[in-house]
Amino acid sequence: MNDKQQMQAALGTQDEHVLQMSDISKTYGVNRALDEVSFDLRPGEVHVLFGENGAGKSTLIKVLTGNVRPDAGTLTINGQSCGFLTLRGAKAAGISAVFQEFQLAPSLSVVDNLFLGREKTRRGILARAEMQDQARQVLAELGFAIDLEATVGTLTRAQRQMVEICKALLLHASILILDEPTASLNDHEADALLDVVRKLRHRGVGIIYVSHRMREIHEIADRVTVLRSGRYIGTLPRAGLQEAKLVEMMTGRPIAALYPEIRQDPRAMRIRISNLSTVNGAVKDASLTLRAGEIVGIAGLMGSGKSEIGQALFGLLPIRSGQIEMDGTLIKPRNPSAMLARHLCYFPPDRNVGGLAVSRPVLENGSMTGLSLNMFSRFGFLRRRNERSEVMKAMKAVRLRPLDLTLPVGSLSGGNMQKVLLARGLVRNTEVFVFDEPTVGIDVGAKAEIYDLLKSLVEKGAAVLMISSDLQEVLRLSNRVYVVTEGRTVAELCGDQKTEDNVLKGFFGHAPKIRKEGVA
Amino acid sequence: MTTMQMTRSFFLNSAVVGLVMIALLLAGFSAASPQMLTKGNIYNILVQSSYLMIFASAQSMVLLTRGYDLSLGNTVSLVSVITAMVLVSPWGQAAGAPILLAALCGLGAAVLIGGLNGTLVAATGLNPFIVTLGTMYIVQALGSTVSGGFPVSGVPAQFMALSRLDVLGVPVQIWTLGLATLALHMLLKWSVYGRSLYLVGANPTAATTAGVKTRMVTAMAYVCCSAFAGLGAILLTARTGSGEPTLGANLTLEAIAAAVVGGISTQGGRGGAVAPLIGAVLITLLSNGMDLVQIDGYVQQICLGMIILIALTLDRFRR
Repeated sequence: MNDKQQMQAALGTQDEHVLQMSDISKTYGVNRALDEVSFDLRPGEVHVLFGENGAGKSTLIKVLTGNVRPDAGTLTINGQSCGFLTLRGAKAAGISAVFQEFQLAPSLSVVDNLFLGREKTRRGILARAEMQDQARQVLAELGFAIDLEATVGTLTRAQRQMVEICKALLLHASILILDEPTASLNDHEADALLDVVRKLRHRGVGIIYVSHRMREIHEIADRVTVLRSGRYIGTLPRAGLQEAKLVEMMTGRPIAALYPEIRQDPRAMRIRISNLSTVNGAVKDASLTLRAGEIVGIAGLMGSGKSEIGQALFGLLPIRSGQIEMDGTLIKPRNPSAMLARHLCYFPPDRNVGGLAVSRPVLENGSMTGLSLNMFSRFGFLRRRNERSEVMKAMKAVRLRPLDLTLPVGSLSGGNMQKVLLARGLVRNTEVFVFDEPTVGIDVGAKAEIYDLLKSLVEKGAAVLMISSDLQEVLRLSNRVYVVTEGRTVAELCGDQKTEDNVLKGFFGHAPKIRKEGVA
Repeated sequence: MTTMQMTRSFFLNSAVVGLVMIALLLAGFSAASPQMLTKGNIYNILVQSSYLMIFASAQSMVLLTRGYDLSLGNTVSLVSVITAMVLVSPWGQAAGAPILLAALCGLGAAVLIGGLNGTLVAATGLNPFIVTLGTMYIVQALGSTVSGGFPVSGVPAQFMALSRLDVLGVPVQIWTLGLATLALHMLLKWSVYGRSLYLVGANPTAATTAGVKTRMVTAMAYVCCSAFAGLGAILLTARTGSGEPTLGANLTLEAIAAAVVGGISTQGGRGGAVAPLIGAVLITLLSNGMDLVQIDGYVQQICLGMIILIALTLDRFRR
């Protein structure tokens, strides 16, 4: 079968569809968000929607949920054609969506949230027992173990996600939309979620699944539809799924490999951490080394303490015991500004929360780390011309698009926000880079650009510590990888040992080989 | 940016909204009262707004860090009382430069209060609303105690003359107005400290991670706020001619109102140096105009309340 036939087969025939969208268009001003996009869904299938940020996935979903009214195109749901949907109409048609930002009331209990706004009553009084029965039934059906009376605010993100899904099911959804459901889950939690998705598929629910994660797509997708710049590019059946192919369709250019070949050339020892523990207990016994000219990865599950190692090194977390040596001398990281002065910069994982002042312009976010330098200020006053030219230089180096220093950072895409964050290390002389989740939640195109940047930093002699939950990224880019479990560095992997298997073994406590001291 | 977005951001621009409101009020009141646009009345409005503008500037520094200073009004009262008491004391009159000494004592007290507020907010991470509510009561009690609850009269004539100074035919208050705005602009837009204020206000965590000394910046905002307020208190005392233990009674909320109406965001990290100026002029103009057309004092308060609500609503849309 050639590609075209494959796609045709994938599209299938019309009658068995729970949803059919044809030639949907939507224009905002001069911006074509959707340009004659078609999409369909069968009952009991997982149809992945794939594309870069801004490809039109969100708009397409919003058409379905009734948030956006398309300019043109037709919609057929369960064989009935309708022009467009209202919010109420979408609900009535059995369409439910779970977005990345949860619509839950954190101070209320699980059962209260499940029935929020449509509580069951008997003569005006809440029928709690009835609601609890129904909720328990749905939870049991999906195999979730969540206490119905627990306050939602105390649940993990994964559990909240499950509450959201239950909420959708209580509405008897026949079409469920999951928008990057695993974006903030670790692999364990993601697996549990995928199990749920399989159960739902088995029950005949049609699922639209938006995700960037190749692993999930391989595991769960029945079909994948790729969008690019608001246009329909193609649909691949499960049998035809290849990472290279998908990436090529998404970016419109062949990417031989997402991960560049990095020339690792470990030289002088820059950082040596021995038996580090933090006051908050997140790090219990961490030891590692980092040399100039190499990328050292730290792999670990969420909550393993891997992130806190970087924070302690940068003076963001108080240290209880252990030693940190920089260039052979013992140091005590007191605060970030002291560490910046030592040419070490930490890049936090959560761009919106801990990393950037989103309401402030690119310029101010870019120069944040350098304000006290002579280059940027003298006698407490800013040298604004220098500031502008230096930040511009850094933004050009990271290929910020659009290259406009006056835009508020919050108006940029995730990938570009990450570039602004990265540029912060470039406006001052930084020699040791500590990246915490450098590519979380950004599209593949931006990822490739960030990797290229890492490559050029390392090849110019920088020392890079990369803390990441993205196993592929850690394994492919690092010279050596430390595995962190429960605040301890349980394994150091180099060369052939750098395999997914070995990392996972480390996660679950039977590490292949534990080495206390790093050897380059 | 599309034309529509530009139009939108232009009309949501706080300075533009403020100026349009000022123009509308001026037009309305001048139609109703011939006295409105006389030179004397315009001077009067500007002189009156100069004091409010100083207090609004003080409050703005703290607002920029997502805080409030509820103790500002009582700080003004305390500084007024202390300054006047030093001036009339034998100790003050024996000094070579009594006015300078008195002003330094008043400012010193203000800086101490600011230091207390700043330390509590920055070091403990307590809610600024609660912290300054606490210091508000303390400072109020101190002011009443040291003055015995009565105005401190008998300040020297040279001190009172400070408020009637003319420089190049323009009242000193109008000079203050201009110079204070300029100084605040320099501080906010050109100094490292001003930049840090915006960053801390916009996202304290991010600022800390980028090496900004967030606690120091926050604490200093309260010190600056109190110092600014102390300065205004001394000028206001010179105008009233006595140390008044209730001088600042309404000032706390008026200062917040002026800052917010002028465009300082209550969410922190947004708003410029002209905001307190525009806000102060707008509020003063409103009460002056309503006095001229003889609108009842309670109705005036209703109007002020509505202006504040409109400003807050616009602030919400700007985000």
